[in-house]
Amino acid sequence: MKSISELTDFYYKTLYPTLEKLEKDRKNLSHRIIMVGIFLTVVAGVAAYSLQGFYEFVLFAYIALGGIAYKFLLHDYTHEFKMSVIKPLVHSIDASLPYSSTTHISEYLFEASKLFSSPDKLSGNDYVKGQIDGINIQFSDLHAQKKHQNSKGKDTWSTIFQGLFIVADFNKHFSGETIVLPDSAQSTFGELIGQWLQSNNAARDELVKMDDPEFEKEFVVYSNDQIEARYILSHALMKKLLDFKHKSAHPVYISFVGTHIYMAISYDKDLFEPSVFRSLLEYKVAMEYVKTLHLAIGVVEELKLNQKLWSKR
Amino acid sequence: MSTSLIILAVLALVLVLMYNSLVGKKNQVENIFASVDTVLKKRYDLIPNLVASVSKYMEHEKSLLEEVTKLRSEATKPNLSDAHKIALDAKVTSALGSIMVAVEAYPELKANENVMHLQHTLHEVEEQISAARRAYNQAVTDYNNAIEMIPTSFMASLMHYGRKQVFEIDVSERQNVNVKELFS
Repeated sequence: MKSISELTDFYYKTLYPTLEKLEKDRKNLSHRIIMVGIFLTVVAGVAAYSLQGFYEFVLFAYIALGGIAYKFLLHDYTHEFKMSVIKPLVHSIDASLPYSSTTHISEYLFEASKLFSSPDKLSGNDYVKGQIDGINIQFSDLHAQKKHQNSKGKDTWSTIFQGLFIVADFNKHFSGETIVLPDSAQSTFGELIGQWLQSNNAARDELVKMDDPEFEKEFVVYSNDQIEARYILSHALMKKLLDFKHKSAHPVYISFVGTHIYMAISYDKDLFEPSVFRSLLEYKVAMEYVKTLHLAIGVVEELKLNQKLWSKR
Repeated sequence: MSTSLIILAVLALVLVLMYNSLVGKKNQVENIFASVDTVLKKRYDLIPNLVASVSKYMEHEKSLLEEVTKLRSEATKPNLSDAHKIALDAKVTSALGSIMVAVEAYPELKANENVMHLQHTLHEVEEQISAARRAYNQAVTDYNNAIEMIPTSFMASLMHYGRKQVFEIDVSERQNVNVKELFS
């Protein structure tokens, strides 16, 4: 697989003509957005002044119209960016991987992961599905939300998960369910109370204490089979998952259910979206696309999912 | 009057909880040891097959094969204590490891489909054993902690609970195998 520096090269060399063109579009677009923004603000101000009241209504209309206008203005640019930057980037890593800019991982798989509570709304984009070294893998940007009703009877939405969601074949046979979550209780409440809280988590299976102190500090493991959890999480895999976590630099949720490994990396924002107010040629902007893609497609190699055991051949 | 009653009730509740948690921990150890036993048996079942497949070629390692066979027959005897089983497991692990290293020296064996299959199956079983051992060690550590820590330690001594042994990895196993020494 290509390294990050090779991908960065690809981004700045092969994609340079495309980026230059997109950069022109981006500058025009940001001007247009600012103009539309000023126009809407003036209209809203005049409306509020002449109506002498209905401020709530004016504010609501201002936000709604602004949002629609922003989306509308961005639509073509976003599509152009995904097709001429993200797609070639994916294909430069592996030409056989199909990419779709509008679809996402199915709700069925999201719920099968058992990582999060079931969402009321699931949206996402940038879906990649294919085979790497004979291992089925798929990932996409995902945003899962839950609906709540506040005291006034109004609907509000809260985010369950937003980030990168990866599903791949796992190289060992197992029948139970093992869930690995970021360790929040133990780091907030200390070891003793944290562990007591974890072992009394009614929503989860039995707590599994792992024999790798560093892993145990970062993650908490629940499973319905104490032995199988350790069969899956060998010392080698624990180390690799730790490395993966450090590399991603974001909270990582992992589960082993059925024949799959599910990984959810919480970025709390929409990924692979074009930047509007910052240059596409900026190193930081470029690295975010490159690094996230490298992390997702690199899972097979990183976790050595392609080294199958005898029983799975 | 009522306060003393409440104190007594709370005290009784604490004692019951302590007692139950100790029994729970002891049963967890036994429960997981049963699973350890199952995977160990799985490996013992592979030994006759392995010995039969390699003995034709391995002239120089006859003693090693005999030792493994002997260990197997000892380990499959009924009514062994847990500690004895743990000790035997360590010996079998190191003996099988030596055989696997020795196989590397015989190209005919290395290419043999049957041996290759056995090797992979053995490797898989070793992984299961390792997982079971780690689960057992954690259960024993929880149990040992409970019987040595205050306040459950008083309860444990009343119940005549003693420390249990964990699977220790042999020191010789941790060191790299000296291949030269094996064939000298």
